[in-house]
Amino acid sequence: MKTILAVDDSATMREMVAFVLESAGYRVIEAEDGAQGLDRATTTSCDLVITDQNMPNMDGLTLVRSLRELRDYKNVPILLLTTESSDAMKAQGRAAGATGWLVKPFDPATLLEVVNKVLR
Amino acid sequence: MDDKKSPAPDARDAAQAADLLVTVATTLNERLALTAEELARSQVLLREASGELMTAFRGAADRLVAAQKDVETSAVPKNVEYEVVLDHLYRAVQHLQSHDLVNQLIDAQKLRVDKMREKLGEAISLSKPPVNDPAQAEQWIQRSRAMLDCIVAGIQQIDDDARHPRSDKKHAGSVDLF
Repeated sequence: MKTILAVDDSATMREMVAFVLESAGYRVIEAEDGAQGLDRATTTSCDLVITDQNMPNMDGLTLVRSLRELRDYKNVPILLLTTESSDAMKAQGRAAGATGWLVKPFDPATLLEVVNKVLR
Repeated sequence: MDDKKSPAPDARDAAQAADLLVTVATTLNERLALTAEELARSQVLLREASGELMTAFRGAADRLVAAQKDVETSAVPKNVEYEVVLDHLYRAVQHLQSHDLVNQLIDAQKLRVDKMREKLGEAISLSKPPVNDPAQAEQWIQRSRAMLDCIVAGIQQIDDDARHPRSDKKHAGSVDLF
């Protein structure tokens, strides 16, 4: 079973992401900000990371950059799931090493489609 | 002529302008207090509704995920109803996210209103101490300038917190794979 790390400071958003992924057979672990996400990622081997951008302590882009510095996460897909939708932010995400950018609120079927695609 | 009792016309004008500024700041602060109150009330209502929806959602979602695990661990085929219920829950996921985003937007607006009220309060407090020499226009002008500087600082810092959520219906749900 593939493990997905969901990072978001909103408990509701984490719960929504976890439900959709678990209903499709994935195991989900959660973190409430970038710093906790980085900690979880180093203690548990994750196959995919889905992170929000605007969070306290550590934002999503910083988390992406920090994960890409870790040997184990050089090639692990990382998706940004955020309300941010500007081209400038997406360019920063791409430069940081993110695999993709999804804008909230997400459509569950689309999220699963993207997750299945990047995990293939 | 006693300057202290009868200020020059330009000093009177400057004093009136400073008074007008105090009236504007006070009125604006009162309106913002009402706005803050209405935002708080709206948020309470929304939170109550969201809480009820989340409880109902959790009940159904937990059972569905448990059923999914049963299907994975045994040879029992999925119930026909499973996909129908899942579809309904997926739709609920989208609406619950909207509730959450609206909640965050209200938080951001409340923060903005509170920050502005704080600065308006500071500006109003600058008008409290008596001026040293009311006959001097420059004293009133300095007071008005200090009040305006305070209000402008409030306006400038209103968007300092970059963590507030953006509401972008046009791009909601969009996907970019790099």
